[in-house]
Amino acid sequence: MTLRKLSALALLVLLMTGMLAACAPEEAAGPVTIQIYYPVAVDAPIAAIFDGYIEKFQEENPSITVEAVYSGGYGDVKTAIQTTIDGGGEPPALAVLLATDLYDLVNAGYILSLDDYIAADEDGEAYMQDFIASFMENSYYDGKTWSIPFQRSAVLMYYNADLFAEAGLEPPDSWAAWGEAGQALTQKDGDEVTRWGIEFPSGWPYWLFQPLAIGNGQNIIGEGDAEVYFDDPKVIEAVQFYIDLSEKYGAMAAGVQSIWGQAPTDLASGQTAMIVHSSGSLNTLLEQADFEVGVMALPGKEAGTYASVPGGGNLYLFDKIDPAKQDAAWKFIRFLSEPERAADFSIQSGYFASCKGAYETEAMKTYMAAHPQVAQARAALDVAGAEFSVQNLGEVRNIFHNYLQQAYNGEMSPAEAMAAAQAEAEVALKDFK
Amino acid sequence: MEKETARSKIDRYLPYLLVLPTFAFVLLFTVWPTLSAFYRSFFRQRLNIAKFRIPTFIGLGNYANIFSDPHFHRVFANTLLYIIGTVPISILLGFLFAMLVNRKVRNVGLARLAFFHTTILPMVSAATVWMFFFTPGYGLFNTALVALGYDGPQNWTGSPNLALLAVMIVAIWKNAGYYMIFYLAGLQNLPTSLYEAVGLDGASWWQTIWYLTLPLLRRTTLFITTIAFIDSFRTIDDIFGLTSGGPSEASTVLLYYLWQKRFEQLDIGFSSALTVILILLLLVFTITNFRVSEKGEEDV
Repeated sequence: MTLRKLSALALLVLLMTGMLAACAPEEAAGPVTIQIYYPVAVDAPIAAIFDGYIEKFQEENPSITVEAVYSGGYGDVKTAIQTTIDGGGEPPALAVLLATDLYDLVNAGYILSLDDYIAADEDGEAYMQDFIASFMENSYYDGKTWSIPFQRSAVLMYYNADLFAEAGLEPPDSWAAWGEAGQALTQKDGDEVTRWGIEFPSGWPYWLFQPLAIGNGQNIIGEGDAEVYFDDPKVIEAVQFYIDLSEKYGAMAAGVQSIWGQAPTDLASGQTAMIVHSSGSLNTLLEQADFEVGVMALPGKEAGTYASVPGGGNLYLFDKIDPAKQDAAWKFIRFLSEPERAADFSIQSGYFASCKGAYETEAMKTYMAAHPQVAQARAALDVAGAEFSVQNLGEVRNIFHNYLQQAYNGEMSPAEAMAAAQAEAEVALKDFK
Repeated sequence: MEKETARSKIDRYLPYLLVLPTFAFVLLFTVWPTLSAFYRSFFRQRLNIAKFRIPTFIGLGNYANIFSDPHFHRVFANTLLYIIGTVPISILLGFLFAMLVNRKVRNVGLARLAFFHTTILPMVSAATVWMFFFTPGYGLFNTALVALGYDGPQNWTGSPNLALLAVMIVAIWKNAGYYMIFYLAGLQNLPTSLYEAVGLDGASWWQTIWYLTLPLLRRTTLFITTIAFIDSFRTIDDIFGLTSGGPSEASTVLLYYLWQKRFEQLDIGFSSALTVILILLLLVFTITNFRVSEKGEEDV
């Protein structure tokens, strides 16, 4: 049935696109064509950059053809792959998916462990050692390595350094200093706020919240794959601090702020003095702002402590496809993570380079000398904890979002909300303990 | 004689041949997925939990889980509220717009375009634009409201009390122009002689609309009500763009919930059962709608 359905589908597609004539018979050995599904999640000409790498790779490896499929953001790419596999189709050889998708992808049996390839590679170990440690946090499961960091980002605090200088303020080094700076930089015209001290998006809140929890000494996840610490007193305190920024300090708008898209523009146009956002916005900010942009990790609770959390996508190799394609895909992975290329990708896209070697290249050194903010952003990775990834992530993350937003919106106290989130999450995780 | 038979043969089979492509598509993309969802709804299958990856028959277990799921109750209530809040208003507005632009005045084409252009915009772009309109403080929507004397809360997409309303506002804005087109087409097909007749009888403007225009447009209204209802169940892309279903599920409606269950939580059984429920709801509504209206027609 499935086969008949598939062939009917295939025939239809062929007829519709009129590609029947262009279809060459598949060759058994020699040339191999691999597909890579690639999400475009930021406002940079990523597809053009990536196509350039593919061209270069094909020059070096004439027997391999790489087809990039750009079909939306991370969610769309994941959906497309799931639909293909569940419908009995062949997955692409490679895809860039969120680092946090790890457990879902392994449990569904979609991806291949990279251990054999790393072991067979003559400098496999050195290769793996070169990746920045916090980018590897979501690559291991079940004693195996499953993904290679590629387009990675982190949560940062951006500030208008000119406003800080005018007010005689130092960049904040603790929660209290942060709140006070926000308070001092908030401007009002009567009752109306004309400039906020801080904008802290929370429409999709877990990621930007995590540095608050980590900055108080307790991440929301633990070492295990089914451990969460939502109701830890330190996490509750971090939720309270978010609320305090508006309630106690009056430094930001009350409640959930669904302003992810606007926040960088708001900072650049002077609507706010500080924002919490992705490192992916750095290039845009440097272009748009006519003041000196300051970049740092988020202040922690105690003076002199800072915190961040990584994000973004990793390269995954798919299971149940022709081994020749997998070999070619591994070659392409290695090609993409050569220090020179990682540096170039970082400079052009605004993402971090995923390996330490890239920061030693001449190109990167020159770029960092011209843009000191890049090094400031890079420093945030040293204080980054692990991004929220557990088993049954979709459900557990929903639970956390629901209650965190209820706390932000004052519908529940932080302690009540986090206790409820913990209890529901335990139920959602019971099949994994 | 022989020629005759050949032609009648063609006549006999041609209609089937002509509907074949449509039929094949409906079979492949509507009937087959529906049957498959129905079948899968009796199994527990969760792709992200290794031990539940292989489907096991659990009878009506998924349905039981759905009806006891507090999130489903919330989502269902949101969906009803959304339908009640958007369908009648956007149809009424569509009718009013159609009345407005169904005249022979200068620049009426421009006015039609103004009402209709929202329909042409892709929903995701529309949602992105509205995100800017909704921005607290300087957003266009808030600025306009303040100019009209509004001094209530402005956090449209972040407040639990306003998020669903924000999604509804965008839906009404988007759909009213679409429904206008059907009403406009309907209005232009109405015989002018009837209007001249009621004019001679001295009917008021209101009487003309109530006793002549609306009854004559009954079929159009039936059609629009049906598509409006189906459309409102299909709402999903604007929610992605505006609120992601939040805050705290305040703007999660049925199809978005279904998407979350299927593609974020990889729960095949649960989402298949939700699909079946969704299809049944639409079927019951559409059939009732047609029945009621046919009955009304007999009465007339």
